[in-house]
Amino acid sequence: MRGFLDSLLSLAVAIAVGAVVAYISGYNPLLVYYSMFVVPFTDVVYVTSALATATPIILTGLTFALGLKAGLFNIGAEGQTYMGALGAVIASYLAASALALPLSFVIGISLAVAWAMVPALLKAYRGVNEVVSTIMMNWIAYWLVIMEASTTFSNPMQPSETIKMPPSARLTPLVPGTSLTAGFFVAVAAALLVYWLLERSVIGYELTAAGLNPVAARIAGIPQSRVVIYSFLLGGVTSGVAGVLQVAAMPPSYSLATNLANVYGLGLDGITAAMLGRGNPLGTLLAALFLGLMEEGARHMQALAMTPFEFVKVLQGIMILVIAVRMLELWRRR
Amino acid sequence: MEAALVLLTQTIHAAVPILLAAVGEILTERSGVVNIGLEGLMLIGAFVGVLVGDVAGSGLIGVAAAWAVGLLLGLLHGAIAVYIRGDQLVAGVAMNLFGAGLVAYGIQAVWHVAGYRQTPSWALVDINAMTVLAFAVAGAMWYILSRTRLGVAIRASGEDPEAAYSVGIDVFKIRLFSTAVGASLASLGGAYLSLAYLSVVTKDISAGRGFIALADVVFANWNPLLAIAGALVFGFFDALSYWLQIFGVARYEVTRMLPYIATLLVVAGVIGRAKPPRALGKPFRKE
Repeated sequence: MRGFLDSLLSLAVAIAVGAVVAYISGYNPLLVYYSMFVVPFTDVVYVTSALATATPIILTGLTFALGLKAGLFNIGAEGQTYMGALGAVIASYLAASALALPLSFVIGISLAVAWAMVPALLKAYRGVNEVVSTIMMNWIAYWLVIMEASTTFSNPMQPSETIKMPPSARLTPLVPGTSLTAGFFVAVAAALLVYWLLERSVIGYELTAAGLNPVAARIAGIPQSRVVIYSFLLGGVTSGVAGVLQVAAMPPSYSLATNLANVYGLGLDGITAAMLGRGNPLGTLLAALFLGLMEEGARHMQALAMTPFEFVKVLQGIMILVIAVRMLELWRRR
Repeated sequence: MEAALVLLTQTIHAAVPILLAAVGEILTERSGVVNIGLEGLMLIGAFVGVLVGDVAGSGLIGVAAAWAVGLLLGLLHGAIAVYIRGDQLVAGVAMNLFGAGLVAYGIQAVWHVAGYRQTPSWALVDINAMTVLAFAVAGAMWYILSRTRLGVAIRASGEDPEAAYSVGIDVFKIRLFSTAVGASLASLGGAYLSLAYLSVVTKDISAGRGFIALADVVFANWNPLLAIAGALVFGFFDALSYWLQIFGVARYEVTRMLPYIATLLVVAGVIGRAKPPRALGKPFRKE
């Protein structure tokens, strides 16, 4: 409850500071916030679009939350999402039938986990700081996936995107005319599963113990290397799924943009969600839904208040800054 | 021969932003505070430099403004870390998110273009002057940290704040100002990118350099002089990637991966030898 209040407070501060920023840059703050927080609720298409926007953020948020629980700063969701999306594109290339869907998950998750394992192993066995190594992996993935998307897997008919998922392998909108697919429920299920895993399973117990007190955990027979590897492995799975869904459940294109537009920035959004949600998987789910709403609102803000979409990112940055101040109770226990 | 000379010059020029940010972070961390928001500070510095340089019609004023904004944001991070005892890593991440958002937003709001603005010619500054400045700052920082009373006070605050406090060192103030000055150098590195080195400001102009600077801090074992060597290593791979591109040796995307792969390999190789300040990241409170 206390954490929830802190998050509300941080939102209030961000809205106040954001109003000043918007006003200085010549936009009407009232119209900005009206289009961001009210307009999305005025049409069922907008609401479902907000849920679709929230879907990958839930999953990348879980990646960061899984790290946070174990006392790790895993910033690698961004690159792991790229790799997951690349996996879906590779699967579409290999199979022209419905088989491409399960294959997408297999290849996408494998690539994302492989990407997560590099920083995990470097941390476990060489003591390399995970903040630096995950960011480096993100940039390597960025250029690798851009290269593959614009060469081997490029779409000869549409040079700005890759080949598409075979029609029978796509996760199509559940209600025609909206963008809400089964992907959303996959993400919600993942959040519940991670919650169960952290609260009720042995792995979760070990991660939490190591996150609260690494020295005590080691003495109790929980090696730090195992904790790092499990945390990054599970995180790689959820980010990999996020990447796969951004291709397989992404109407109308069902492909990856060669400039990575449909996966870019999702990892950072996930960090925001996990921090707003206090590292709790269910809190992360809630926060991601809220961020999905904000980003859907930002699209209307762009059209109605003529304000750049990125204004929403300014608000989110301020929110996290306030959270850093208020998070002291939670983090001083480390 | 000429190509090798170009590579050497490029290496030195590419090293500058990493060197400035790394030297700043060494100062911050030596005092006991972690700031992983260098990437955001660099971005903001690059943006503010062009914005103010453009309006004021002078690159130097742009550089000064970027430095000053970095100093203010550093004071904010320092206040959160030192007085409020907030989480320093979270605050650093917040700075990165805020910087990325503000610069992408600002480029559109100010110039009405999406994510890319050429620096006007009157706002450019001399790249060689800034390069000399960066290397001089590294040398001066080494001198201050290892040869002056102030340096002893800073290092004591990061190693054993209780002992430092007991002999009359104001640990709070030392940490606050070390964090502010450290952050200002990262922003200065950003201004160098947009006003001298790349002559453009984009929403991801820093391209991971803030994090490469964090790697350089560890590589240098918190020594500003060794940070020069580290920055040159990273600068070499940055320059090499453009060099290979010009000569068409490998695809553009492959060469762009080089600095990041090199950083990973370097940090994986040197860790274990590196020894961070003992009270790094731990808030200090009076008994």
